[in-house]
This record gives sequence, C-alpha cells and structure tokens, in this order.
Amino acid sequence: MTNDILLNIEGLTLDFRTNRGRVKALRDISFPVRRGRILGIVGESGSGKSTILWSILGLLAGNAEVTAGRVEYGARDLLTLNAEGLRAIRGEEISVVFQDPMTSQIPVLPYARQMSDILYRRSMSEADKRKAAVDMLRRVGIPDPDSRVDAYPHQFSGGMRQRAGIAMSMLTGPNLLLADEPTTALDVTMEAQMIGLMRGLRDDFDTTIVVVSHNLGLIAEMCDDVVVMYAGEVVETGEVHDIFHNARHPYTRALLECDPARIAEVSRKLPVIPGDIPDLTRPLPGCIFADRCQKAMPDCARVAPPQVARGGGMARCHLLEGPLADASWPPPADVVTVGRDLGGLAPAKVRNDAPPLLDVHDLNVRFRTMGPLKARMNGVSDPFVDAVLDVSLDLQPGETLALVGESGSGKTTLGRTILNLQSASGGSVRFDGQEIAGMAEARFKPLRRDMAMMFQDPVGSLSPRKSVRALITEPLVIHGAQGRDLDAEAERLADMVRLPRSFLSRYPHELSGGQARRVGVARALALNPRLIVADEPTAGLDVSVQGEILNLMADLQAEHGLSYLIITHNLPVVRHIADRIAIMYLGRIVEDGPAAEVFARPAHPYTRALVEGVPQPDPDRRRPPSATIEGEVPSLLRRPKGCDFASRCPLAQEACRRAKPEHIHIAPDHRHACLFPLSTTSDLTETA
Amino acid sequence: MFTYLLKRLGLAALVVMAVLLLLFSMLHMIPGNPAILALGTRASPEAIAEYSARMHLDKPVLTQFVYFLGNAVQGDLGQDVFSNRAVTSVIGERIGFSLALICTGMGWAVLLGVPLGCLAAVRPGSWLDRVTGVFSVGMIAVPSFLVSIWALLLFSLELRWLPAIGAGEPGDLADQLSHLVLPAFAIGLGWVGYLARMVRASMLEVMGEPYIRSARAFGLKPRRVVLGYALRVAILPTITLIGMGFGGLISSAVFAEIIFARPGVGKMIFDAVSDRNFPIVQGGVLVATGFYILVVLISDLLIAWLDPRVRSSL
Repeated sequence: MTNDILLNIEGLTLDFRTNRGRVKALRDISFPVRRGRILGIVGESGSGKSTILWSILGLLAGNAEVTAGRVEYGARDLLTLNAEGLRAIRGEEISVVFQDPMTSQIPVLPYARQMSDILYRRSMSEADKRKAAVDMLRRVGIPDPDSRVDAYPHQFSGGMRQRAGIAMSMLTGPNLLLADEPTTALDVTMEAQMIGLMRGLRDDFDTTIVVVSHNLGLIAEMCDDVVVMYAGEVVETGEVHDIFHNARHPYTRALLECDPARIAEVSRKLPVIPGDIPDLTRPLPGCIFADRCQKAMPDCARVAPPQVARGGGMARCHLLEGPLADASWPPPADVVTVGRDLGGLAPAKVRNDAPPLLDVHDLNVRFRTMGPLKARMNGVSDPFVDAVLDVSLDLQPGETLALVGESGSGKTTLGRTILNLQSASGGSVRFDGQEIAGMAEARFKPLRRDMAMMFQDPVGSLSPRKSVRALITEPLVIHGAQGRDLDAEAERLADMVRLPRSFLSRYPHELSGGQARRVGVARALALNPRLIVADEPTAGLDVSVQGEILNLMADLQAEHGLSYLIITHNLPVVRHIADRIAIMYLGRIVEDGPAAEVFARPAHPYTRALVEGVPQPDPDRRRPPSATIEGEVPSLLRRPKGCDFASRCPLAQEACRRAKPEHIHIAPDHRHACLFPLSTTSDLTETA
Repeated sequence: MFTYLLKRLGLAALVVMAVLLLLFSMLHMIPGNPAILALGTRASPEAIAEYSARMHLDKPVLTQFVYFLGNAVQGDLGQDVFSNRAVTSVIGERIGFSLALICTGMGWAVLLGVPLGCLAAVRPGSWLDRVTGVFSVGMIAVPSFLVSIWALLLFSLELRWLPAIGAGEPGDLADQLSHLVLPAFAIGLGWVGYLARMVRASMLEVMGEPYIRSARAFGLKPRRVVLGYALRVAILPTITLIGMGFGGLISSAVFAEIIFARPGVGKMIFDAVSDRNFPIVQGGVLVATGFYILVVLISDLLIAWLDPRVRSSL
C-alpha cells in the first residue's frame, strides 16, 4: 500500500439477515481512497453505497454480517478493530456529515454542548472547547457564532443546520470525512453553497472526503474520483472526467443518460433503464446488470465479467475484454448508447385563446402566527404571515404549468388552496369559470372529481392496511360508484399506469418507490379528472425510474387532455415537461412565462440564480464558487419591506428595498416582478 | 411563558371549581339531613335549626357553594363537625403523612423503574429484558390494595420485620421510616412496572434515531450516548406519565392508609365520608385536587425546561 492511499477497501462482502433470507448487500467491494482527494460513491437506492460508509465506521445495523474483506486504514483493519479502537478513531480521525440535518442532531442539546462533547478526548478547558466550536462555526459561515453556539438545532434553518453539521464533523480536523448524501435534504441554492464549503474545507484542512450521493450533479461538481455502484457491486471506478465523459460500463452510461440535466434539447420523453434492481437474496452469477443492460449477451448473466483497468480505475464488463469483447465499445464520448426513444420531439404547444381551465387571481393565504391575546400582550399589531401573496396564474386545458420554488416559497400551500384544502384569505380561484375559493365542502365535492392530487410522499400517502386494488378504487367508492364493477375498474386503472395486474393484491410496503408512484397516479386518474396537482411527483425517485413516471404522465396527458400543475424544486426535470413555469419566492410569483423563454432568458435575478444554481452533471462545467447566490430564504416572519429577494440579490439597489416591484409584462405571456430586470440577452452571455 | 403560566393557573382554578361543584352536589344527594347526622337523632329542633343556620344548610345548594368558595379563598375551609377545629389545621397535621407516602411510593418506583427500563432497552432480548418484561406485567396487573394486604401479612404478621399499623412515634424518624416502608412499597410496585415498560419503549425508539447514530459516529462513549443523549430525550414522555401518575397514587394511598391505619389525608377523607363530616371531605378533596394540578403543572414545566422545542413554543 503506497503512502498516498489513506483508506483501502479490499473485497468487502456483507450480508443482511432478513426474514426473506440473506440479502447479499455488498459483494467483493474493492477501491482505494486517495489522500487529499474527494471520492464520490454514486449509485441508486439499493446499491449499497451508504452501507459502505457504515462499515468503515463499524456502525452497521444489527442484522448485518461482514463475511469477507478488509478496510485498511494505515496498518489497521477497521473491520477487525475492537470497539475501543474504533471509538478512538470515530470523530477524531474519521468523521461524518449526515444526510438529514433535521434528524441527525439531537434536538435537546445546544450546539455548544454537542460540539464540546465531540472534543471529550482532548485535554482542553471548557472555555477552550467553546472557543474551538465558535471558531469552527464561523469558518463554515454561521453568522454571529459567539451567540449562535448556544442555539438548539430547531432554531436553525435547514441550510444553517447542515453548516453546523459540517462544523461538528470538522471540529477535530479529521483525516477522512465521510459525507452521506450531504445535500439531499437541502434546496438547490443551499446545495451549491455546501459543495463550495466542503471543497474549501478540504483545501484548508487537507482532509480527504468520501461523499455518497445519487446526485450526479453533486458528484461531478465536487469529486476527483468516482466509484459507480449497482446492486451491491462496484461496476466502474475512475477519475471524474473519465466517468462523466467516457464511461466504459453500460450502467454508468445509462445512468448518465437518464439525468435530465444532461439532455440538452428539450425532450418530452425521458430515457429510462427498463426493469428493476435484481433480488439480492439470489444475485446473478454473471454480470449483476445483465438483465437490464441494453448490450447484454446470453453469457453476461452466467459468466462473471472481467475487471479491466484504465488509468487508476477499472470497469467490469464483458464488452471490454475476453471472448465477448466488442471493439466498438466504448463508443466515443458523449454519444447516445443505450436505446433511447425520444418519441419524436413534441411540437411546442400553442396557447390558444381557449378559456382557461384554472384561473387564479390575486390569491392570498394568510396564517395566524400567535393567538390574539399573546399578540396584544407582545404589542404585535398584525399577527399573520402571508404564505401566498397576490398570486395570479392560469392554466389551459392540456397544459402543464410548473410551480417552482425553494422550500418555504409557499408553492405547496398554493396547490392546496387551489384544491380547496386550505382556505384563501383573499382573491379568487376559478375552475372552468366557476368560483371555488371558499366554497363549502358539500358543494365542492362534485368538483373534486375534476381535480386530483398526487401527493409528495408516495408511500406515506397510501393507507398501509389497504391493498392496491382498494387504494386505486377508493376515489370511486368515495364519489359513489353504484353499479360499477370495481374489480374491472381496478384492472383498467392498473393497465393505464402500466402496473402489472398481479400487483393489485399487494400492500403499500411491498411496493418500490416507482410502483408506489404509479399507484398514486392511478388514484389521481380514477375519476377521470381534468386537472391534476402533482406535488413533487418524482421526489425520492432514482433517475432511472423518474423518467418512467414522467413519461407515463406525458402519455396520459396526450391521451386524455389532462392539465397538470406540477409543484417542484427540480428545475432540470421542469425544463423537459413543463409548457410554462411560475417561479415563487416567499409566497409571491417573481416570474412566469413559457418554459423555454424563462430558461433561455430569465428576467428575474432569482430565476437566473435557480437556473444556474443546479450543479451540472459534467465536471467540465463546474461553476466558480462566486456563481452561487448567498444567504437563504428569509423567514416569512421577516418578509423584507421592498422586493422579497433584495436581501440576497447580487444586483439589489436602494430602490429595491423600498417598495415591492409590480408585475411587468415583457411579452404577452411572460411576466416578472423586478425593478431592474436582467437585460435579456447581454447579461446572460457575459456570465456564460 | 408568562401568558402560558397565566393560562395554566386560570385553567387550574376552573378545574378545582368543577371538582368542588361535583363533590358538593354529590354530598347533597346523599339521603339524610346533615344536621341530624352531625348532631345525632336526639338533638332538639332548636339545636338543629341553629346548626343549619350556622352551616348555611338552610340555603340553596348553590348559595352554600358560593359561601364555601368565598371562605376557601380566604383560607377558611370551615370546621370539623365533631371537634369544631378548623379543617385547615386538621388537614395540616395529616397532610405530611400522605405526602411522605405518595412521594416515597413514586420515588422508589422511579429509582427502580427508570434504570430497569433503560437497561432492558440497551440490551433488548437479554435475560434482564425478559425478566423485566414478565414481572412488569405482573406488577401492573395486581391492584395496590392486594399488595398492601399481602405485604402486611407477610412482612408484618408472618416475618415480623416491619410494623403493621400507624405512622410511628412522632419525633422518632427511624420508627416513622419503618412504618413508611410497607405502604410505600405497596403503592409504588405497580409504577415500577409501568415506568420500566414506558422507559424501555421510548428508549428503544430513541436509540434508533439518527442523532444517536451521530453521537456514536463521533465516537462518544456508550455510557454518554445512553445517559447523556438517549435517556435525555426518552425521559420526556415518562415525565408526563409520572405527573399524571400522581393522580392514581392519591387514590392508591387512600387504600394503603386504610389498610395500614396511617393517619393521612386519604384515611381522613374516608372516615369523614362515613361520618357525613362534610367540611372535612370538602377540604380534603380540595387539597388532593390542588396537589394533583400542581404536580401536573410542575411536570409540564420540567418538560419545557428539558426540551427547548417545547420551551420556545410556550
């Protein structure tokens, strides 16, 4: 082992004992972690990427059993090290940044205490520990750390909490930092800030970082080396440029092609990897990807693929070496390889003058923040916040409108208000010409047939005690299904969302994320609605499955003339599926217009920040740290007096802080609310 | 915080009023003239009339209630029907015995139940966990008055280790403590089981939380992770349970005081009900209700103190 290798994983093999049998979760995992570099482990859910992190730390679940392999750290093997020895390394030499800062920090202890606890092995006075904590919080960009160190996690916003999480992990100046999906719970603008922060810390503290993520943008932007995992095996390793520009394994290629951010032209149909992850209680004897691979040959499933080296990396594929080798593989960089049916580019829909299906005008939703008594005692004259402020938008039949914004932008509240699940405090919502805001539920119920909701959490929104058959016919039962054959309806709906009929007797916990989504779509479609409000329809889905759901939604739209209101923060996806976009910030729409227009020529600085804020899955298009916008979405309680975005806007001027900008039309269907809009062509080319 | 306290105290006053009103109407629904009951059947009509007037028994029930409340606010709970002593001083000399019993009962239950639950949760499936699981059900299932009787028979009458009745010689602390052991054991036993199960369940839940894994990943010592982190969170629902548990303990204490003939408030109320000594009953119930409300308030404030999320929402 040479000196530039900090950690070496060799032949790591691990099973989980479950009641289905032994799940062979990791099989023969080997890769080195080079000193001073950032290594990314990328893979979809079920690939075992997080399990590797936990085996490095010796913090595996109780039913895990390591059957072979070594994790060499210096002269030690972390897999055989005793509990005492592991504890000495954890937190001191190897530290962790966790996925969800909401749940990974203990809610009842202040940061000062949590951080001084980490330093318990050091012979430092309490005052020195506190000072070290304050200094590290300052380094990660927490404002006013001297007093904030006494704050509790719930007093921080999501972004601040993750900064504090990074500060905790860096407090001891570890040699190796493990980061488990460090930005998955954060908004795009926060994500970009975290990537910059971690790269900066690596340079300052000479720390080696291993980051686990399913987010190709994050991997491309942050990492030097990449390990690609599929179903418990490493299929390819290499330097980031080689992986993203000339991958040699068909899975790596397919994964990259599924990422909507890498598809340059707008495409209604997104590529997918057909099939599901194999059953790991009985993994294939040959190549683990064989049953989903477009290039698979009969022997692939039987014969273990050769491991073929390139540079410092390797790939495991029959196409590269041996009797099945294909001289034309790998094809040159950036060529579409996996069968991808673009289905022809859908012609851009032309907006006609048809009356809108949904017409929202000056809608306001206010929430009370404290009781009237408390407000009076504290001298608060207006104990309300505006969750939705003067929102106007319309949606034509057959159209897709995407409502985009970071968390706290009020987009979900707006969606709920449109469905009359939340009462409006002002303005109007017209559906098919009929005013529905504030309509009594009894009168509204017949209209519910025409409007359906797809909920954000696909499994959580399904009753765990009902079968799929009962779940997808539930809307029919609620809205009176006399004389209908529910079994036939269930089969019709299952066919419609391409869910195998055998799944009708399953229960939600037996479904994968994609299958649960399909059930959600079927439920929404049960009553033949005209409008579907979809809240983050692909959140939590792997890229290879995301395309399937979006393609299904597009097909159903074409077939039934559905209108979609899609609530999301995922801009790369929006670009492909939306006809029009409305960008929300602090409950207000700051810009809306045709999707292509808004992407090509954003008028509002916030729109541009969002569009450019998405980490690109291409290491050659890394942005300088200066390109990310600073700060975070302010609390609704502290809504700025002038333009809501003025506190973060790089172009803000005095006038911006005085009054809220009105909505201005720059084209008949393109509006913005900015006093100093980006002059639509020149500015963009400058920054590009 | 201030508004919160004000709200809670207002609510407490309402609860006390409601309890007293209920008690008042119940006492007056018991057949028989309280004056005759108090003075005896051979009392002269003049004496009865005089007594009724003095006790306001000739007024409507609601008026009597208002009189009672007015006096109670001024710290006057009326007189003992038989001894004519102030109810407050009668309660005053007995309340110490009841408080000692209830607090000792809950105290030993907490001191044993919480660590048991904790240890069982840290090693689920161990022999300690299994033994705790089985025995806690038994402890909860057996009513405390049965435990009292068995304990009395076994330890006092059969083995003669501990005294059977009374509260011990005044001034002799050791004697008083030896009289406290059996009744406190009897009323606390069920709570050992309750607390062990409750703490075990919430510890198991908390030990699975991501922040516990974080603490381990930062290399904290197991003892610190369990006591400083997991128990710190898992104890919160247990505190609410303990606070409410005092209500149940007040009624268990009544039985224990009767069986062990302890001169506490519980026994006092029991005797007063049989004697139709209404002022004593009212005063006793008022004190018991007030004590319960106070304990629940303290447990809520304790949680607010331990949990910053609750604190900031007050």
